[in-house]
Amino acid sequence: MTPSTFDAIFAVLVEQFKVDAAAVQPQVALDQLGLDSLALMEFVFAVEDRFDVRIPEDRLDPRQAGVTLEQLALLLDEAIARKASPDVVNG
Amino acid sequence: MSSTARPLAGAPVAVTGAGVVSPLGNDFAAFDDALFAGRSAVRARALEIPGVELPPVPVAAAEFDAAAVVAPSRVPLDRCTAMALVAADHAAREAGLVADRFDAERLGIFWGSGMAGASTFETTCRSLYAEQRRMRPTSVVTTMPNAPVAELALRFGARGAALAFACACASSAVAIGEAMRAIRAGRIDVAIAGGSESLLTPGVLASWQAMRVLTPLAAGADREASAQRACRPFAADRAGFALGEAAAAFVLESTEHARARGAVVRFDLAGYATNCDGVHITNPDPAGQARAMRAALADAGLSAEAIGYLNAHGTATTAGDAAEAESIASVFGAGGVPVSSTKAIHGHLLGAGGAVELLAAARALAAGRLPPNANVECADPAFALDLVTRCARESAGLDAVLSNSFAFGGTNAVLIATRPRR
Repeated sequence: MTPSTFDAIFAVLVEQFKVDAAAVQPQVALDQLGLDSLALMEFVFAVEDRFDVRIPEDRLDPRQAGVTLEQLALLLDEAIARKASPDVVNG
Repeated sequence: MSSTARPLAGAPVAVTGAGVVSPLGNDFAAFDDALFAGRSAVRARALEIPGVELPPVPVAAAEFDAAAVVAPSRVPLDRCTAMALVAADHAAREAGLVADRFDAERLGIFWGSGMAGASTFETTCRSLYAEQRRMRPTSVVTTMPNAPVAELALRFGARGAALAFACACASSAVAIGEAMRAIRAGRIDVAIAGGSESLLTPGVLASWQAMRVLTPLAAGADREASAQRACRPFAADRAGFALGEAAAAFVLESTEHARARGAVVRFDLAGYATNCDGVHITNPDPAGQARAMRAALADAGLSAEAIGYLNAHGTATTAGDAAEAESIASVFGAGGVPVSSTKAIHGHLLGAGGAVELLAAARALAAGRLPPNANVECADPAFALDLVTRCARESAGLDAVLSNSFAFGGTNAVLIATRPRR
């Protein structure tokens, strides 16, 4: 997990969704943030937009419980890497 | 007025709190300061739409950070909903309304907005079409006309009612009046009522400009000065209005409920009436307006002579002001009541207009001073109005005030506020 990716997740959750900063930890699952499914989808959109990437739908359904912020950051890192090297698209 | 007219009147409803976010300021000190000085908050704004050239428009913006507002639902808020939450919080605080002091099933939210989340919808559609970005999953719940009332109901845990009123420029006056009726009818004890509107996005501004109701601005160095005096209600040289953004909220309660919890009554809502012209989509009908004013007076059990100040709808359009000057004169007689339109300084607040203008009238009632109708060098000589021009007018003993709201679509709404009689 790239620290800057987690920092971005942290910033979006705290600034935009007003989640308590102390609650934003890598091992915290999406369904432990106090956000409902609609707000969670909005949150994932917001972090994707921040990096101008998309996490493929088969890799993440934000309505699924149990995905941690660390896992989300890793998925974002993958998407960022894919964007940086276009030859591995679909890879 | 003789007591025989009283049976038609309804009981007054107590107003125990108010709150505002507006171009004049977001607290009563700032609001009163600009209101009684007649200081215009209207400024010039460029319409930045790529590939389209349009002249700038006059707007009255509120100094307000929507991003600092926490949504009860945690989804993003349209600016007008964020304003609604802040105004309602202020009102509830002033009223001393806390969760353990009212029955949630007896609390209703009554809220007016003309187009509510239209500016959010414009922004999201622009990213979809121009930037090929996805629509957000919350676009619907942010845009819907009842978005403000939904968030307010969540904030205050209201279980009695959550009703949104959309009748253009009369929306929030109707919302307040219908809350008053629900309390009088005994269906609820307490209401948070008012309205909000924030539509200062390029597409919405261009829509109003296309109707030719916004005052065209001077070019070059005179632009800013012409923006500040763009809205000149009842003036001979009136040329249209400026759009503004605002929210105003009131806590309404039955007199018994206010008394039982020991709340301070700020003013009474004494009368309300709404009707429809049923004549034309935009042209106002003086007969419909006069019927509405007379019905509100009957509802309050007051004669026309009892009204010491009338806050006019006064949009500063040629046809609108002429119709209203005629209807006011027909009800109150020539020069029969002091009149001003505060749209000159806060702009046309559309769905929020009725609520903010009721607040302006209530502040006049509290201060015993009448706010001036700013920007008028020369009143239209065709109007038989006692227009309060140039500066505020002292009015010791002011006891009853009336606020007009007349909408596109023909909806008229009139509210009457009085000093509390207890």
